[in-house]
Amino acid sequence: MTAYLIRRLLSVVPIMLGVLMLTFLLFRVIGGNPAYRIAGKNATPEKIAQITRDRGYDKPYFVNLQDFPSQLLDAQFPRLLGRLLRGDFGESITTKEKVSDILRKGIWPSLCVTLPLFSLNLLLAVALALLAAYYRNTWVDRSLVVLAVMGMSVSSLVYIMVAQYWLAGEWGLFPVWGFENPYYLVLPVLIGVIAGVGGSVRFYRTIVLDEMYQDYVRTARAKGVSPQRILFSHVLRNALIPILTNVIIALPFLYTGSLLLESFFGIPGLGRMLVMAIPNGDEDVIYAETFLGSILFVLANTLTDIAYAVADPRIRLK
Amino acid sequence: MLSVGLLTRIAAAGSLLFFALAGCAPKQESQDRTLHLIGGDFRGFDPVDSGDVSTAEEICRVYEGLLEYSYLERPYKVIPRLAEALPEVSDDGLTYTFRLRKGVRFPDDKCFPGGKGRDVTAHDFIYSFKRLIDPQISSDGDWIFIHHVLGAKEWADKGNFQAPVPGFIAVDDHTLQIKLAHPYPQLLWTLTMSFTFVVPREAVEFYKQDFRSHPVGTGPFRLKSWRRRYRIEYDRNPFFSGQQYPDVGAPGDREAGLLEDAGKPLPIVDRIIEYDVSEYYTFWQMFLSGQIAAAGLNKDYFQKAIAPDLGLSDELKQRGIRLYKTPEPTILYIAFNMKDPAVGGQNPQLRQAFACAIDVPKLCEVIYNNRYTPAHSPIPPGIGGHTDKPYPYRYNLDRAKQLIAEAGYAGGRDKNNRPLRLTLMMAGAGSTDARQMGEFFTDHLRAIGVDLVVQQLSFAEYLRRKQEGHYQIAYAGWVGDYPDAENFLKLFYGPNKCPGVNATNYENPEFDALYKRISVMPDSPERTALYEQMVDIVLADCPWALMTYPLTYGLYQPWFQNYKRHPFSYAGAKYYKVLPH
Repeated sequence: MTAYLIRRLLSVVPIMLGVLMLTFLLFRVIGGNPAYRIAGKNATPEKIAQITRDRGYDKPYFVNLQDFPSQLLDAQFPRLLGRLLRGDFGESITTKEKVSDILRKGIWPSLCVTLPLFSLNLLLAVALALLAAYYRNTWVDRSLVVLAVMGMSVSSLVYIMVAQYWLAGEWGLFPVWGFENPYYLVLPVLIGVIAGVGGSVRFYRTIVLDEMYQDYVRTARAKGVSPQRILFSHVLRNALIPILTNVIIALPFLYTGSLLLESFFGIPGLGRMLVMAIPNGDEDVIYAETFLGSILFVLANTLTDIAYAVADPRIRLK
Repeated sequence: MLSVGLLTRIAAAGSLLFFALAGCAPKQESQDRTLHLIGGDFRGFDPVDSGDVSTAEEICRVYEGLLEYSYLERPYKVIPRLAEALPEVSDDGLTYTFRLRKGVRFPDDKCFPGGKGRDVTAHDFIYSFKRLIDPQISSDGDWIFIHHVLGAKEWADKGNFQAPVPGFIAVDDHTLQIKLAHPYPQLLWTLTMSFTFVVPREAVEFYKQDFRSHPVGTGPFRLKSWRRRYRIEYDRNPFFSGQQYPDVGAPGDREAGLLEDAGKPLPIVDRIIEYDVSEYYTFWQMFLSGQIAAAGLNKDYFQKAIAPDLGLSDELKQRGIRLYKTPEPTILYIAFNMKDPAVGGQNPQLRQAFACAIDVPKLCEVIYNNRYTPAHSPIPPGIGGHTDKPYPYRYNLDRAKQLIAEAGYAGGRDKNNRPLRLTLMMAGAGSTDARQMGEFFTDHLRAIGVDLVVQQLSFAEYLRRKQEGHYQIAYAGWVGDYPDAENFLKLFYGPNKCPGVNATNYENPEFDALYKRISVMPDSPERTALYEQMVDIVLADCPWALMTYPLTYGLYQPWFQNYKRHPFSYAGAKYYKVLPH
């Protein structure tokens, strides 16, 4: 188990390096030298050269062969990596804020949306999946499946626009936009749940049905155990592993926030920040988010594996 | 072991908490004399770092400078703000003497001894100007002084902040002199820009890195709260030094009700709340529901709001919403790299053929919903030197074919019968607008046999190539910094060629000689005549194919008053009025 954990944690290194390098290629190598944009439209060549020099944009991208070997890593990517590993996330080109401050301030608003959304989604999806499985092949089951498919077939953008127009704009039931008090979160969370619950219901229903056809269910039924008890005490317990997978794998996304909901409803969280950073080419913000996101993702995967072993004694991590 | 019960309880607790919180009702804020607007994400409250519109607008709420634009008068006019009057200018045009208004105070703030604000002096301006040209700060507004003020460049090169700049002199606490290295009549325009606004040394030194979050200025408003990427709130600055609503305006302003508040003390509103809304759909819903006072119109919502006759739609008229249309001091054009062997050089026919091949009125209609108008001069409307002379290269396919033949590419083929292939670079990689525009140009050039390849680049890469002159043809634009044609004509001045602002590398000795003359001339009919002469030279050589002038369309609520768009001034908020609604 310990060896497994060490191996999994070490896998953070190549994954994080790969994600960061891809981001670096997209935004720095293909995107070009940001000094021209930072310097402004009336910039003199000297000013551009100064910014380029000060920020190290004049260094080679990956390795510096000019002063080999002493300065081999005096290049843009190794410097970026070193900085991120030291916890120095740099500053935003657009707002001149420290990226660590942006992340610190953005995480709470993101969690205010994603935590209730995630909890409601989980509760509702599991409940509806159990209901559908319990009444399998009846009109209840079929209706739920149809509704789930319909719900997941519509883009969340449509839900947002319809809800903002009718529920908030025309009928005034909710604020159109804002993050003043918890009431402002109701509409984005509801939309998030409606847009996301369909897929989860279908997934959990399949898992529960798989379990319901197992031998132990037939045995329990033969022993006269009530259908409700079978469902809640046996089936649901055994369906826990795939449910756990689904839950834990989603945890990093609680941190990164919901890009669309935050943008449309003015939630000043990390999702909205990323949406604003990409068109602005705000590199340090993007690097920090991808760097932390990749680490969280690997950790969540490792946590899933551990949860497997905890939930099912038959599984051993090697 | 994790149990189903535990999982369920966690989920249930989260859900219950959510529903409990959802029961809270939204707080209704008083609308009385509070102005609700949309703002953008900006860099913070440091005047020397205010090179974008969003930042300049916020800076103008809390800081002020020596001069400002007259809010209502047109043509654009500079008036004193923290100066008592416009400066006395020496006969040689090299010394500007400003008398400062007395009694102008920085507000109380903990950065001052005992927390008590103090009077603004000439030394504060010198400190603020030095910050602007300090290489350690590296402001994108240093161009205002660095090459014009006596000894500024040498001072910056030495890098000793404590040393005096020979061109900035405090004659006494309330008299400031700016000495120039050469005549620079545009100085008055540039002193209205937020880059030059006055800050107290105490605040910069006290707040250090956080200075940009703690403005301490003399402006009409004071920062009350600020949550980045969400909301910013200002209230009235009790130390704001007396200013009244203007009693003179442009023709039509009185009829439009813009002079009703003449003589009233500023600011008129008590509070401003700005929301940072990034999605236009949300922004539109907020405007329609009356939550915000004004809204710009983007391409996607243009047809919802504007009738085919380019007036306001009936639906919006019924809501009492009003429309404003203002030409912007901006030009969009296609730039030819004059050093390129194919499109550059002294032979302008190919460039002229390119210009004649593009149906610009159709471009305005199809791509811009007629929010832009065809350009006919490199100097946009509203700027001295702009004329209504028709553009010599209006869309004319026959003429385009004739010109391209004269250039040696009849039917789009050279004398060896090889097809002519040109490359146009544009910023905005991946954007729908850039793609549509690229297709528009490609189709039009195909009509004269030219194979046009469109390169869509990231903005940073586009800027690099443009500034370094590594391109053949570029779709480009220039937003005026101040209402003087010199600000546009400098884009054709030979010594400004790459990596300077003359990205086309255009050089014409006659033009350059005229530019040298006008750049030191004060405003006069003679200078305007020279501007027109210079425009004629540029049009004949055709380093640009002129495209469009943007026209701003905006909407405002019936209860939002005293709004008049000024494309160079960002200090309008102090004049705005909100009626009870």
